[in-house]
Amino acid sequence: MNTLSRIQSRLLRTVRSRWRQLGIAIGPSLIYLLLLLLAPVTFIITVSFLQVNDSYQIVLEPTLENYNSLFSSEGPFWESTFFSVVMESLTIAVLTTVITLVLAFPLAYHLSKAEGAVFQLMLVMVLLPFFTVYLVRVYSWLLMFGQNGVINTTLMAFGLTSGPIELFNYGVPAIIVGLIHAFFPYMLLSVYASLDGFNFSLIDAARDLGAGRIETFRDIVVPITLPGVISGCLFVFVPSFGAFITPVFLGQGKVLMIGQLIESRISSLYAIDTASAIAMFIILAIVIAFGLAFRYIDVENLGGV
Amino acid sequence: MPVDGTDDKAVRTANGDSNGSGKKTDQHEADSSRFANSRRSMLKAVGASGTAGLLSGCLWMGSGSASTINILTWEEYGDVTDGIADDLDIDIQVTSSTSGADMFSTWNAGEYEQYDIAVPDNNYVQRFADADLIEPVNRDIVTNYENIYDNFSNLSRNQFGTSENNVWGTPMRFGWNGYSYDSRTIPDHEASWSVLFEDSFDGVDLDGEIVMYDGHYKAMSATALYLGYEDAFEGEEVTLSSEQMEEVKQTLIEQKPRLQGYIAEDPTYIQGFNQGNFLIGHSGRNEIVEMWSDGADWPVMTAPREGALAWFEVAVVSSASDSKETAWEVVNEFISPEYGASLAQAGFSPSVNPDTQEELSDEENELFGSVDPEMIDSFIPFKSVSNEDAWLEAWEEIKAA
Repeated sequence: MNTLSRIQSRLLRTVRSRWRQLGIAIGPSLIYLLLLLLAPVTFIITVSFLQVNDSYQIVLEPTLENYNSLFSSEGPFWESTFFSVVMESLTIAVLTTVITLVLAFPLAYHLSKAEGAVFQLMLVMVLLPFFTVYLVRVYSWLLMFGQNGVINTTLMAFGLTSGPIELFNYGVPAIIVGLIHAFFPYMLLSVYASLDGFNFSLIDAARDLGAGRIETFRDIVVPITLPGVISGCLFVFVPSFGAFITPVFLGQGKVLMIGQLIESRISSLYAIDTASAIAMFIILAIVIAFGLAFRYIDVENLGGV
Repeated sequence: MPVDGTDDKAVRTANGDSNGSGKKTDQHEADSSRFANSRRSMLKAVGASGTAGLLSGCLWMGSGSASTINILTWEEYGDVTDGIADDLDIDIQVTSSTSGADMFSTWNAGEYEQYDIAVPDNNYVQRFADADLIEPVNRDIVTNYENIYDNFSNLSRNQFGTSENNVWGTPMRFGWNGYSYDSRTIPDHEASWSVLFEDSFDGVDLDGEIVMYDGHYKAMSATALYLGYEDAFEGEEVTLSSEQMEEVKQTLIEQKPRLQGYIAEDPTYIQGFNQGNFLIGHSGRNEIVEMWSDGADWPVMTAPREGALAWFEVAVVSSASDSKETAWEVVNEFISPEYGASLAQAGFSPSVNPDTQEELSDEENELFGSVDPEMIDSFIPFKSVSNEDAWLEAWEEIKAA
């Protein structure tokens, strides 16, 4: 038997065991999950119940002080700074998700009906921004917004406004626009995936049988697209809630979201204890979002398919 | 037949027993031996090269090998390290950071073992020392230390002196924060922090035309000086009482609706100023010097009468560095006349060594190279804060308002 055959036979003997086959198949993924997901999350959860002393060392004495400090205020807890930051972040994330859905759904609908060159062109136009580094895209919005940004300057140049419009200044609206731009493809592709292969003659049949547009949409289109819509909403809401780069640039420091709060605590004070406690609320929001989503779709439907 | 169903003879043949006698032939034994030898040689070679690769990787990754110095510092330092590396016959790797706070948290998270030098602001040096991250200055190597302005050697002793009459770091460059304004719109005036907190100034509507620094220390300190709390800056630490802190916080919350925004990064400030997004802003001098160097003559930089806050960068060497002496040699070069001048040119901020002025042109000295030492005396140096938790919580409340 030559060398190659010998090696081959040894390899076959090695992987003949079912446990070894399992190890080879899922081992790398399991290591990835353990090291890069479970370990960091476990660290965050653990540190959120510990404290850092004046020497910046973690003290191994469990405490709820980090959580207490987040909600401490002179009045009730809903008047605390942290509560207002969470509400601001939630509001921005929800608005971003809803507006992205409203913009993406019609486009996904037409994309699923398009064919040939039209379909390819539409798809390329949607995905083209993804080939640019996100920071570059944020900088482009930085130039667009502002009192003397491109939008306000153009409006004033055409005489449509007498002065800069506050809506196009830096702040919450600019952040929402930036987030929509960032996560629009996720929503679009999720909804499109649920519409791909859809038999549009069902809509014609429903209309022929007397159903109105709203009834048809509610009873035919919505159930078909629900997995894609829910997936898309998850893919937009979760990163929007914890966004950092976009509010830093497009909020110009006047808007404080939860991601910036975490960065501030760590970079200014190395307060990884309170920062971990804050991060727990992001994890909690993600768990709740996924929990709500899985009431309506199965894991297999995640992605819209 | 064997139990597993294989052909017994085939197995024996595969094992070198070609005639099925139960004995390997001499030829096959020779072939097997040569194969075994070549395989063992190959395995040895692979093992040796892998070990060599691993060792070389460890040496490269290790903090401060004999030939590589790793520095965590401000962006422009990378512009001057090539010459120093050539002179000292070493390799220098520079990683950029945008704040002393970031440098501290990076090192304190364990990366002080990956770096040899960091260059934080002066008010962070004691924090590095308290966390046992740095070594005292090796004055035998950093010989240029003797040539720096007395102001900075005194400040260093006061702010981060060791118990052995040494200091924890070497001053590099300095600058100060005040405010800058567009002289095309805002007329010349006696500089005062109050301009940042007024709705209008001399007939100019400043609503939405003001920018404050995006950092709790600088913004709240400027506000405290505006409110007349200069006494709080006289001790070793900045100490605001709870009533003073509340007043500072409310002043900034009331100011916020009139702001264009909060900006920390120099390029963002310069871009916004050039774009006309604001008329007046809380800034450092080096951003404005950079704009002057680019040909803009309308920005004016001020030192407010209530006090301008002065910073100086300090080079510290990691206690975990394997090349401390080489690291101190690099630090010494940063404040040498030649490379100190290069650093000043790169960052538009003067060196702490006045001898660098001999390496700069008259224009450069006028812009950023030479500073009247009496002016330095009038500045209020950055200091650590006695209750920084409260400062940060107040700042978060202002940003969330």
